[in-house]
Amino acid sequence: MNAQRHDVPLVAAGYEIRLMGQLDHRWSDWLEGLTVTHEGDGTTTLSGPVADQAALHGLLRRIGDMGVTLISVNVSHEDHV
Amino acid sequence: MATPILATKLFAPPPRANAVARQRLIARMDDGVRSRRKLTLISAPAGFGKTTLLSQWIAATRRREPEVRVAWLSLDASDNDPARFLSYLAAALHSADAAFGSDDAKGPLTVEATLTALVNDVARSPHNVILVLDDFQLIEEASIREAVVFLLERLPSTMHLAIATRSDPLLPLPRLRARDQLTELRAADLRFTAEEATAFLNSVMGLSLTPDDVAALETRTEGWVAGLQLAALSMRERTDVAGFITAFAGSHRFVIDYLVEEVLQRTPPPVREFLNQTAVLDRLSGPLCDAVTGQTGSAEMLESLERGNLFVVPLDDRREWYRYHHLFADVLRSRLLADGPRRMAALHGLASQWYANNGFAEEAVEHALAAPDFAGAARLIEASISGIRKSRRDATLLTWLALLPRDIIRRRPVLGVFSAWSSLVAGDIDAVEPQLAEAQRMLSLVAADGTPAHDSEPSDELRNLPVTIALYRAAVALGRGDLADVQRRAQQAMDLTAPDDHLGRGAAAGLLGLASWARGDIEAGIRAFEQSGASLRLAGNLTDALSTTMVMADMLTPLGRLREIHRAYDAALHEAIEECRGGEPTADLHAGISEVFLQRNELGRALEHLAASEALSERASSHEHRYRWFVAMAGVRRAEGDLDAAVELLAGAEQHYRRGFFPEVRPIGGMRARVLIEQGRLTDAQAWMSEQGLSDTDELTYLREFGHMTLARALIAHHRADPASGALPRAIGLLARLLDAAEAGGRVGSAGEILVLQAVALELQDQTHLALAPLERALDLAEPEGYVRLFLDEGAPMLRLLRAAAGAGIRPAYVRQLSQALRQTEGSGAAGLPVTSALSERELHVVRLLATEMTGPEIARALSVSLNTMRTHTQHIYAKLDVTSRRAAVRRAEAAGLI
Repeated sequence: MNAQRHDVPLVAAGYEIRLMGQLDHRWSDWLEGLTVTHEGDGTTTLSGPVADQAALHGLLRRIGDMGVTLISVNVSHEDHV
Repeated sequence: MATPILATKLFAPPPRANAVARQRLIARMDDGVRSRRKLTLISAPAGFGKTTLLSQWIAATRRREPEVRVAWLSLDASDNDPARFLSYLAAALHSADAAFGSDDAKGPLTVEATLTALVNDVARSPHNVILVLDDFQLIEEASIREAVVFLLERLPSTMHLAIATRSDPLLPLPRLRARDQLTELRAADLRFTAEEATAFLNSVMGLSLTPDDVAALETRTEGWVAGLQLAALSMRERTDVAGFITAFAGSHRFVIDYLVEEVLQRTPPPVREFLNQTAVLDRLSGPLCDAVTGQTGSAEMLESLERGNLFVVPLDDRREWYRYHHLFADVLRSRLLADGPRRMAALHGLASQWYANNGFAEEAVEHALAAPDFAGAARLIEASISGIRKSRRDATLLTWLALLPRDIIRRRPVLGVFSAWSSLVAGDIDAVEPQLAEAQRMLSLVAADGTPAHDSEPSDELRNLPVTIALYRAAVALGRGDLADVQRRAQQAMDLTAPDDHLGRGAAAGLLGLASWARGDIEAGIRAFEQSGASLRLAGNLTDALSTTMVMADMLTPLGRLREIHRAYDAALHEAIEECRGGEPTADLHAGISEVFLQRNELGRALEHLAASEALSERASSHEHRYRWFVAMAGVRRAEGDLDAAVELLAGAEQHYRRGFFPEVRPIGGMRARVLIEQGRLTDAQAWMSEQGLSDTDELTYLREFGHMTLARALIAHHRADPASGALPRAIGLLARLLDAAEAGGRVGSAGEILVLQAVALELQDQTHLALAPLERALDLAEPEGYVRLFLDEGAPMLRLLRAAAGAGIRPAYVRQLSQALRQTEGSGAAGLPVTSALSERELHVVRLLATEMTGPEIARALSVSLNTMRTHTQHIYAKLDVTSRRAAVRRAEAAGLI
């Protein structure tokens, strides 16, 4: 498996993580400084650079620990680091 | 180590008096235990009431079955050190029943050995046992997950494992499901149903909500227990409950954000401040919170938080230690972090200080690292190195070290040398020397005011650091195979040791011994290892001291000192059984001594020791020596004639063999080649010798002696298969050179085997009379030490040689013993036939001569009697043996054990 073929970066990349509910902006620091954006449909998007796969997994675990429902995780193509 | 913190980890929290009874879930858990399923898995995100459910279930089980033994272990992230995890697991079981885990061997045990011992303890108990592992999601270390899998596979039928986790553990869940060995409760099961929500809000929390209100809350929180709990707290003493519910239900905010805000707003400012300041703590006690908040009265505060349901969980029944509910703590911490990192760092610093002052080294380090205050952490880590290494929890130290910036490690030579060690054990040899050199440079630097330029505090570690540096350099040299350098560095280390640095002296002596041994100076190696063992003993490290016995035996073997090997094993084994209570290295010593009995052809006793070793090995065998059991067992099978089994066991030995720093003087591949030769599989045997590049024209060294002797055996076998091959003269030439080399090196044991092979080779040339000379020398060397297999292993050709030796009157008692044993081994079949009447001494002598190729007149001459007298003797012998021919008489005498 190589990164190009699946278009999944193995190094630093921008990610967009969608969560159920509207998260307070002050979670930003707790969630590695990702930008917290409230969407119109009552969901929240976290966006910003994530260092690597290990950091991404750590981040998702934190989100899980908060009891937030995870909707999707995407690589953001507009927002390259 | 009965620190309060350990106790808090083993504390099974009692259920809250006024909690909602979750009967439907408890019934499913009970059903799982009744159906003898092995595992109950409660897997759901934070705030679903997993721990509460477990404690309710435990309480219900105890009411029904007061004798049930419950071991509870609340895990945290630092339990990812296998040694720490295991010791807590053992402590949890021990606290459940004093009979569990009480027989702790002094020697360190492998993971599997520890678990096996615990499982055996549980299996012996008449009681049912429940082991609870809470917060299992924090375990990431693969070896711990493997340990839990191992435990599940061997779980006694009276034992049940319950795991609560936020994410599914990497255990073989599909297999457990398929075999109906798993009870699973997941988020969907744990959510409050409408009835449970009503019971909680109205009965427990005393709110009188309408069914519609309850339904609205239930929908908004999706039955999430933490959400409903926070909502209830927000509604207490609120007049406009309906207004709250409408606003909450209409909001899109994340449930926790909304509700924590509500709860905190309604909390008096001093309490709110207390919550903020103490949020960084994983555990809370009155004194610790006093230190962190700079206030007094924290103990009362914690009690009132518990009474007020403000998300503190008691961790003992003395109201001493608490923790926040994980979810609540995360919210508080994220708010603290949003206020900027400095406040958080200061709070961690205060916590670290309190822990350090109160003797909790590890917690102090964790908080310093979390601050992060790397300089403070480095100081604390340095101070705790010796304690943590003594408990063999290197994984914890390595994790910490990886978090420290290089420059801070550099300024502390004690940490720098430890870091070098971590590179050494990781196999990164090249990274070792630069770190040692830097540490040494820092040690030598002196500031302008005459004080040391480095930051390491005075300690035993620091004082002995030059020794440690020299020892690690010797280890690097060993890894590179540079024996001269090993010798030099180890001697340097020895010269630097203080008289009371027994550990350093033991290690230096061991390295010196290794270097001597590998260079072929076996006597010096033995002296060094004797010294090493004595120093290790003085250092209180009996396990390693006794483990030197195996090395000593390996060195004494080529010297042919079987009795000394026997004595050494015997003494070490007795001491291991007494002092180590069967722990490491007892199993290895049993395997070792079995080889002595094998050499003496006492196969029964060899097997007894091998069985004892096997029985202990699960709990008490070091990986380093485990292969010895397979080697020894292969030897026994070979002696029994089961060559296929021997080959298979040697393959097992190869699997268990760890290439360490000890010279491979008896390579397993060589042992296997010897058995293959006996099987006539010469091509297979030759493959190993080619791989080793062995040839009969090589220069001969001690380290390759075993290989060259194997080659000589192969050449002899080759000649047997093809007498025209010219292999025999090559064998004879090689053996002559081998004998010279062995004698020059004082290797009497090796010489014995070479002489035996010379005799066998000469016998093949029909030069039995010439063969007797080396055979006699071999017998002379071997008899005082009691070697038997040395001769028996040669089979039928040796029987002919011994017959000739008997005829020549060489070492008659020994030769008779060997011949008898050999005939039994060779299975001549006629053993045990009755002899009509005993032969006289004279007649016995005649029979032995009849067994030779001497003619009648030659025998008469040898006995200095007339031919007639000789014939009279012969007639008497024939009558007594009930035979009519010379050949039959010899066979009969042999069968009766007379020759």
